[in-house]
Amino acid sequence: MIGQFLFKNRSELPLKEDQANTFLEISIVVSVFLFSITLAAFFVISAMISSWNKSIVDGLSVQIMPSEQVLSADEELLRVGKVIQFFEGFENVEKVIQIKDSQIQKLMRPWLGQNVDLKELPMPKLLDVRLKNGKFFDYDKAAAQLKDVAPYASMDNYAIWLQKLVKSASSLKALSVFVLMLVLITTSFSIMYAVQTSLKIHQNIIEILHIMGATDDYIGKQYAKRIFIVALLASIIGSILSILALLMISYISANLDTGLIASATLTHFHWALLALLPLPTSLFAMLTALISVKRTLGKII
Amino acid sequence: METHKNILTEPIVEMQNVCIRYGDDPEVLSNIQLCLDKGSFHFLTGKSGAGKTSLLSMMYLSLMPSKGTVNVFGSNIGYASRNTMAMLRRKIGVVFQDFRLLEHLSAYDNVAIPLRIRAMNENEIQKRVKELLSWVELDKSMNKLCSTLSGGEKQRVAIARAVINRPEILLADEPTGNVDNDIASKLMKLFVELNKLGTTVVIATHSKDLITEYNYPQIHLENKSLKIIPALRRISR
Repeated sequence: MIGQFLFKNRSELPLKEDQANTFLEISIVVSVFLFSITLAAFFVISAMISSWNKSIVDGLSVQIMPSEQVLSADEELLRVGKVIQFFEGFENVEKVIQIKDSQIQKLMRPWLGQNVDLKELPMPKLLDVRLKNGKFFDYDKAAAQLKDVAPYASMDNYAIWLQKLVKSASSLKALSVFVLMLVLITTSFSIMYAVQTSLKIHQNIIEILHIMGATDDYIGKQYAKRIFIVALLASIIGSILSILALLMISYISANLDTGLIASATLTHFHWALLALLPLPTSLFAMLTALISVKRTLGKII
Repeated sequence: METHKNILTEPIVEMQNVCIRYGDDPEVLSNIQLCLDKGSFHFLTGKSGAGKTSLLSMMYLSLMPSKGTVNVFGSNIGYASRNTMAMLRRKIGVVFQDFRLLEHLSAYDNVAIPLRIRAMNENEIQKRVKELLSWVELDKSMNKLCSTLSGGEKQRVAIARAVINRPEILLADEPTGNVDNDIASKLMKLFVELNKLGTTVVIATHSKDLITEYNYPQIHLENKSLKIIPALRRISR
């Protein structure tokens, strides 16, 4: 159907010779390159956020440091109970499990060796706070509140740090969406400018076509067809350039061996989407041209 | 003002109290009343600058009146949508004094435009265009770019383009001005034949010979106003 649309009807407008074509081609190559790179960044950031979230959504550990004073068993229970009660007060907390002392000792044994009597050492108490599945837990807020309620207890730093990282990455993700929108808007304006310039150049021919009964749609389709071809060729070039750049970035980042960024790779699905980008780009350009022609013709002729 | 109207036939172009003014300039035409019946044939006469081209432009829906009402095929063009205007224009064939051909296209492609606009089948277009170009003796030049054709050839292409659609109204501005007598006579015969088939014809001309030979009524423009000069006699053609 697209083939029929592209090759069936001849164009009465000499759009191939338009000088604005070169401007449009360069503009689309650059736009598609930027769009592709930004989209890849969006995919990578999304994958990283998802991977980090997975690490922190399950739960968190709370460490209750031993008191400097000697406490009775009841006082010790009260200290721990206060922290348990604190976490149970959160809506998104499913349950709070206290890790048994024997289990803690078992965990510590490899670090301290067999000759140390662990019962004699001041061991911290550990709580495993299980979160409700998929629910948001504000680590920063909880940590601040915990400081007031039980300053002797501390939350797992890793989760807090990771959530801060997720927040920063989310800002980057929002920024990438903004850049994508910006590229789309800029491309639309470039197409509209090229179309309006061309309409003014070919105003005489368009007038003749109108006199012979051509509708705005008939003229719009000639522009849409031309812009589709220009955009398709330009976006293929832009897409190839961006894929080469991304392959290079992937190669460099693969050799960096950084634990956190290791998950920042594009999947086959992402690569396929990037490779197919010229098609939606050309369709977008075609529709923009069609709308622009119709709107402009209503004003100038 | 004189109104020419045959109540027995269907009016195809009607103008009531029409004025034409370009910007702040004085009116070119003032208080025009005109009714063209379906199947009528008129010469449009008047001195240069009398407003012939303006009147024709209004008839082919390229110019809106600054005052008054224009009905074409029963539609008031002041209220017609852009699409309706396009559909109305498809029933009108126009021959411009300066031809207004698309110079970057061949003679064939120029003549094919009205049919392509109507989304006609390409085989049918080929058949019709070749036949008509052959009839106007341009069969050997049909693939030449219009920019390379002589004035007379261009005029024949312009006429072929105007009539290829078998229009209901044919408007021609000096259609025989650039061709030799033989071709002029042949083209006039074409207009007469189209008129016999029901096409309403209006030909703007300065040629007194043409007006005398083809004794049709005249729409005469003078001092911004219009009067109809009836045909004096019928001659056999």
